[in-house]
Amino acid sequence: MALVGNIRDFGLSDFLYLVDRGYKTGGLYLTHEQETALLFFEKGKLVLASRRPEDQEAELLVRLGLMNQAQLDTARQALSITSNGATITQVIIDQQIVERDKLQNGLMAHTEESVYGLFGWPEGEFRFEQNQRAPAESPTMPTPVSVENLIMEGVRRIDEWGRIKDRIASTDMIVKFVDQPGEKAKGVKLAPEEWRIFARINGKDSLAEIAQKTGLGDFDVCRIVYGFLTAGLVDVMKKPRPVAGTRGAQVAEPPRVKKSLVNRIINRIRGM
Amino acid sequence: MQTVKMVISGAVNAGKTEFIKAISEIEVVSTERRATDDTKMIKKETTVAMDFGRIAIADDLVLHLFGTPGQKRFDFMWEILSEGMLGLVILVDSTRPETFRETNRIIDFFVSYRDTAYVIAANKQDRPNAWSPDELRLALRQPPHIKVLPCVASDRESVKNILLELLYVIQEKSED
Repeated sequence: MALVGNIRDFGLSDFLYLVDRGYKTGGLYLTHEQETALLFFEKGKLVLASRRPEDQEAELLVRLGLMNQAQLDTARQALSITSNGATITQVIIDQQIVERDKLQNGLMAHTEESVYGLFGWPEGEFRFEQNQRAPAESPTMPTPVSVENLIMEGVRRIDEWGRIKDRIASTDMIVKFVDQPGEKAKGVKLAPEEWRIFARINGKDSLAEIAQKTGLGDFDVCRIVYGFLTAGLVDVMKKPRPVAGTRGAQVAEPPRVKKSLVNRIINRIRGM
Repeated sequence: MQTVKMVISGAVNAGKTEFIKAISEIEVVSTERRATDDTKMIKKETTVAMDFGRIAIADDLVLHLFGTPGQKRFDFMWEILSEGMLGLVILVDSTRPETFRETNRIIDFFVSYRDTAYVIAANKQDRPNAWSPDELRLALRQPPHIKVLPCVASDRESVKNILLELLYVIQEKSED
């Protein structure tokens, strides 16, 4: 079933996070006024992004200077006689028409630029067709790329508080690293200002305190931390409210209930 | 007579009134009035105070169900309703991603300061283009231990299932 919505309400960064964490495969169709875009994902990683229909065709490889027309014709010929569900990218690599690295780097640069431009869209309808794959003739990247860097770049382009405040309600919130960022952290490329903040995260300081220590403005700190948050590197939490009559701050406990009372309610609801 | 309370919350038009109506033994006390703000665009009548339902557990025990007002201007009611509640159901309209941010705000309000037992009910699963519970978990950034459950608030069995799942969460936190 398709997931539909508008990036005004559910941002592109949020959607990329969902695709990444859900290991989703499918095609994401975006429209904004007269513009369209199409992104294909395999198990949560991006394999193709195009802003124009012609960029979904193998001729893109010629336009990007990755091969000449004769090489493309050779690849197409080879693809037409394969019966194992191979893609043109696999054929190009298997037949050593173009080196894998050259193909990867050329397509990745094109793909990243295609996606970065989408973060400038203030709104736009999206539709995610699950399990849809790019056609075999489409110029997909040999190695699918993680979306964390795309998310970070998208967040760098945010210039208003609205979206940030959805996740970071105030500068009193505390930032901490997630328990297991795992592979996520390794692939993320940080700008110098982002490193300054990254190095100050200790699970105790609030965003306001980090801003003070780094000399950066509240907005910049929140925007950068929002990026870490969206990429799944950190969590933010409110400072616990102090509980009256106790020393130090702790989370307020709800009233304890007896198991027997809960069991009575369960039995009653089951019998309804 | 002992009374216990559960709170049913969610964004405007998430299905709170319908949810309580499906399970309450009394006719739901709903202070609905004509909507006067942008919620008019969503439905003609919307909850401006609260819904109240009741299930008699035994002669000496009653479960009250409170639906929170959907609109932001009634946020002050949430604090009052949350006092002493046994648990919380967060209803989400699975077909309207534009309400996910507001849902997150509601979750944050109810659970950030207290160890509230809660489940998320992914309502309107019978509609086309409903986001699945797994997708909602990711969209709402909920950790794996929080139950995100399929729900059709107009269906009594579905509502029963949500309440039972919440009660199992409460049961784990309760004392012998």
